[in-house]
Parts: sequence; structure tokens; C-alpha cells
Amino acid sequence: MAIIKVENVKYKYPDTDKLVLNDMTFDVEQGEFIGLIGKNTAGKSTLCFALAGLVPHFFKGAYGGKVLVNGLEVRQHEIGEISPHVGLVFENPFSQMTGSKYTVYEEIAFGLENMGIDREIIVNRIEESLELLDITEIKDKNPFDLSGGQMQRVAIASVIALKPSILILDEPTSQLDPQGTEEVFKVIENLTKEGITIIMAEHKIDKMAGYTDRILLIHEGKLIDFDTPAKLFSREDLQDYGIIAPAVTRISQSLGIQNKENGLYPVTLKELSREMGDKR
Amino acid sequence: MSKTSIWTFKLSTAAIALIPAAIGINYLGKLFAGLLKLPLWLDSIGTVLASMLAGPIIGALSGIINNIIYGITVDPISTVYAVTSGAIGLVVGIMAYKGWLKNVKTAIVIGLVVGIVAAIISTPLNITFWGGQTGNIWGDAFYAFLVSHNFPVWLASFGDSFVVDVPDKIATVIISYFIFRGLPNNFNTIFRGSDKIEEL
Amino acid sequence: MSTMTLYVEKNSILHNTAPLTKVLYVMVSIAITYLIPEIAFVLSVAIITLLLLILGKVFRKIVPILGLSIILILSIIIVQGFFHPQNQTILFSIGFVTFYKEGLSYAALLTLRVMNMIMSFGILILTTKHDELVEAMIKKGLSPKIGYVLLSVLQLIPQMRTTMAKITDAQRSRGMETEGSLLVRMKAFFPLIGPVVLNSINITRERAIALEVRGFSSNQKRSFLNISKEYRYQTAIQVILWLTLAAAIVWRILTWLS
Repeated sequence: MAIIKVENVKYKYPDTDKLVLNDMTFDVEQGEFIGLIGKNTAGKSTLCFALAGLVPHFFKGAYGGKVLVNGLEVRQHEIGEISPHVGLVFENPFSQMTGSKYTVYEEIAFGLENMGIDREIIVNRIEESLELLDITEIKDKNPFDLSGGQMQRVAIASVIALKPSILILDEPTSQLDPQGTEEVFKVIENLTKEGITIIMAEHKIDKMAGYTDRILLIHEGKLIDFDTPAKLFSREDLQDYGIIAPAVTRISQSLGIQNKENGLYPVTLKELSREMGDKR
Repeated sequence: MSKTSIWTFKLSTAAIALIPAAIGINYLGKLFAGLLKLPLWLDSIGTVLASMLAGPIIGALSGIINNIIYGITVDPISTVYAVTSGAIGLVVGIMAYKGWLKNVKTAIVIGLVVGIVAAIISTPLNITFWGGQTGNIWGDAFYAFLVSHNFPVWLASFGDSFVVDVPDKIATVIISYFIFRGLPNNFNTIFRGSDKIEEL
Repeated sequence: MSTMTLYVEKNSILHNTAPLTKVLYVMVSIAITYLIPEIAFVLSVAIITLLLLILGKVFRKIVPILGLSIILILSIIIVQGFFHPQNQTILFSIGFVTFYKEGLSYAALLTLRVMNMIMSFGILILTTKHDELVEAMIKKGLSPKIGYVLLSVLQLIPQMRTTMAKITDAQRSRGMETEGSLLVRMKAFFPLIGPVVLNSINITRERAIALEVRGFSSNQKRSFLNISKEYRYQTAIQVILWLTLAAAIVWRILTWLS
């Protein structure tokens, strides 16, 4: 069964005329890792907000169509009811710290306290999240004393502690240095093993090719394609949408290295070396 | 812009999150004014901006909480004026909603009204708590002058607050007005509270 | 990251008193000094507050806080001493300056009240952790959203101070003049405060989103990670404080009637 169902969703921000989401329809299966790509103004963030219920409830504006997450119709429920099902993490780690907590440990408790969860369960959830995000060592530090990468992991932990079945990551590494980026990608890889459905908007195409099950390409509010990385990155018209295929794919294209079974270009080093090995 | 009541009590999260920012801006205004040795306090720019952005209730809350926080972290005396700060937020919010944010001239009127209201509210506080003075040297000199010329205490005290508050509040509202005008438009919509969702 | 706090980590009777009891003490001790305008009484309340501060091992920390109000206090003494409308009895003269008994005793009353106010606040803020105080108030019915605001301001202001230092440096290195005529300095105010405002409103937007997805507007009854500390004898102390307040009010009414 599809865990996310998006049907003909349209959306405009208040006081604007442009449809930022223009008649989008797609399904995501439980446990899938979906990459979301497109140019800066394509509507990636807005789509992320729409899945988490911030569009339309937080931003208001004009809305049409239907989004179902975990069986819940977003339009009919408040963000507070949606957030136990859908977690959202975005770019700026600094602004995701609540500012009202003095330690990482308490920071992670924030959402759990708001939802009135019992203290014993809160403690368990915090411990689990600390472990999963590899931040147990910094649990007594003030959130604002952390590096960007650490802060972003705390942000993810705070959301994961609510046990959402869907996690949305909107360019979680775009404001991080290379080391922070590496840290965050490592924990995201861990999360995929937990069976949680992940949607990640990201500019780092090479990373996306390796991790994701399917990639959603959007352009000016419209869905262009939704397919496996191999198929999607083998498209000839990627540049029209402001996307540059992964380095591996581009090399394979210029060298003419294709997968013999389906004629697609490799998207990861592993695939490439397999195809090359076959050649030799 | 669809107009909603200014007295909406279900305050949006964005509006609530604006309060700490407003208090921080108040604090910075005061620091910068001190740094530049300006003869004004300019310590309510955040409160005034919050009122312009999110209405009188958020403005009033920003003012009240501002003084409570300042009271418990720096100077207990300032807690007494929480009422005054709250009123400043309230007045700016209401006047902004009634269309007084059109241009600099009307903004000056807001500043004048705010200054007078602040002085009116501070007067009974000053009389009750410290016999009518403000602790501001110029204001208190004026107070002494009035009292020694046989003006009643309440009038002298009002005069004391008036000379201190009115110029400061006019400057504060003008500065806030320019900052408010300079904000990108999409900044403002989320603070305004419950705009209805249109169907597409 | 520093938090804005005057809290002093010590172990004392006051540190082991419930935050709300201390809040009540602040309110009652201030209120009664205004209800009963007798110097001897106000003096004894101020002395009790002072003794409590010593008991709380935080007496030395109150001095700078009192210092902040020194101008107000001096101004009260001088202005009331000279100009109090009921001034009649000359107490002493320094050169051409004459101090009157009525004015000075009124000034003494006001000064004692102000000092008592500041010191009783000191009892609360020097011996109580913010988060504990706010959580106690939320449990008593304060809106958790207001509780959030209170706690986050305390972390935000030190951050803003850092931001301010950065901006001031940046603008100075761009040749902005922070000295000179009033007009020049007035003009310098905008490039200083403008960027901070823009930045903090931007952060506010994003933070609101982060709060939303973590159930900030949920109507659930909140739970608490921190277990509230158990304090003994609190009810007894609080009852005594309420009774004191009631007695002061009764005294006031009786003096009015007579």
C-alpha cells in the first residue's frame, strides 16, 4: 500500500499568482528512499512542506487536490496531528534548535513533551535517537555550542524521536561543511535500515544516485519524471531542468558504457566498475 | 489581503516565535543606541515592529515579557514598567491596523500617541513606586523644576515622563516604520495569523 | 553558549525552596511595603529580605544589581529632600542647599521600598534556575507557549550580543562612522540594526516551522522530561505569606476607616 499519495495537488502562496505546485500526482511505497531533485525554484521545499502539512496550514494561501500520508488526509488535519506521522528537517540547523532547551538531551525531548508522552517513554525515545544519530557523546552540551553537522543531527534526532513513519529532509546538508555533510549522510544511511520512508531533496546528485530507490524530478511546480536513478539519469533532457547527471553517468555516457541488460547508464561507481569489468 | 480580526486569540506559532525575536531586537536597539551615544533609549523597536507585523496582542505580549525578562536578568526595577511596554505594543498594533502606517507623517502621529500613552501610564507607576520620578536625569530635573514652582506632583511627574518618553517613542516608531517598509512582503504574511485557505 | 542568567549555583535553604514560594515572597514583600507606609515597618521588611539573601549565600551578588538603581535612589533623595511639597522642617543645610525633614523621611521610605523590591527579586533570581521556575509555572497553568517564549529569550539575547559584535566590526571595517555629530550617529543606527532585524525575522520564520513539526501547537496536555523536585514545608510557608498579605490589607483598610 502506498504510504504517501499525492493527487492533483495545486498550491499558491498568499499574495502571489504563480502555482508553485501545479497538478502533481504520485505515490510512494512504504520504506522507499525517494530523492527529490529540480532547480532552486522548482518547488522542492513547497512539496516538502505540503507533505508535512505546513502547506497549507502554516503558510495558508490557495490549495487544491489531496495529499494522504499514512492514510491521513493532510488538508483535514492539523499539523500537530500530522507531525507524529511525518517528520521534517530542513537546511538551517541553527533555526531548527528550539532555543528553549539547555542541553541536547532536553532538546530532543521538546516534541515528545508537547505531545504529552509519558516520561519513561520519552527517556527511551531520546536514548534510541541519540544512538541512531550517533550523538550520545554530546547529549549534555548546549545545542548552540555544536558544529553545524552535529546540530543537524540533533535536529534529525528530535524529529526521529517522535517515531514518524515518513521522514522528509529538505536539503539537510546544503549549509554544512564537507565533514558535516559526511556525518549527516552517514546517519541517513542508518535510518534507511530502520525501514522508515524517506524523501530527501538534495543538490548533491552523486550521493542521491547511490542511496535512493527512486528519484522524483520536478520543474516549475510540475512533476517531470519519477523513476529509478538509472532510468532518470539516463534521460537526455536533464539539462533542460537544470540538472546535471552524476559524474559516473556522464563519464559512462561519453565512454558509451551501458548496462547490457537494460541499456541504461551506470549511476554509481560500483555499477560502473561492474560494467567495466564485464568489458575487460 | 483578507482582513481578519486583530483580536484573534488563537495566536499562530510564527507570531509566538516572533516575541523572543522582538525582545532581542529591543535589547539590540538599546545597545546600539548606547554604542552610538544617542540621547535616546530606542529600546522598544522590537515591540513596535512585532505590533506592526503581528498585531496588538503579540505587540503587547512582547512588551510585557520584555520587561519581565529584563527584570529577572538585569534590572528588577524595569518589571514595574511592564504595563507601559504592553500598552506601547497595544497602541501601535491598533493604530497600524487602523491604517496609520501609510507614510512617515502618520508614523510620527503613532509615535506621538505612543509617547503620550506611555507617559500617562508611567505617571501613576512613578508616583506610587518612587514618588513621581523616573531616574532619568533630564526628566527628574524637569520634575524638580515643576515641583519647586508649586505644580502638583502628578503633573510634575507626568511632565517628567513626557519629556523622556515622547521624543524617544517618536524616534522609535519612525525607525521601526522604515525597517518595516524595508522587509520583503512575503515575510509579513505568516505573522498575520489566520488568513483563510482558498480552495483551488 | 552562555545563557542570560543571574543564577548562582550554591546549596542553601533558599536554593532548596520551591520557585513558586519565592515568587510569592517577592510579591508579598513588595506589596506590604506599599500597603503600610511606615518607615520602621518597611525597614524591618527590608532587613528580613536582606537576611534571607545572606541565608541564601548570595548577598554579594545583589550589590551590583542595587548599583543599577543608584541614580534613581540618589535622585529620589535629592529631589524629595529639596522639593517635597510638604517640606517645612529644616533638617540641615549644606551651603545654600537646604534639606527638609519631611522630604528626607519620604525619600527614606521610598528608598527602602526600592531596595526591598530589588533585594526580594534577588532572592528569586539569584537562587532559582529559570527552566525550573518556568516549568513550575506551566504546571500551575501558565501557557506552555509563553513558557517557551520566556526560556528562549534567555538564550537568544546572548546570541544577539554575539551577532551585534560581528555587525559592528563589519560595518566599522566598511568605514561606517560611529562617532561625530548627532546626525552622523543617527544615520549609523540603520545599517547596524537593519541586518539583525532581517536575519532574526528570517530565523523566526524557520524556527516557527521547526516548532510546528514538533507539536508546538498540539492541544495535548504537556508532559515533562524533568521530574519536579520535592520541597518540604512549602504549603506552610505559602500560607504564612498569604496571611501576611491579608493582614497588611486589613491594616490598610482599618487606617482608612479610622
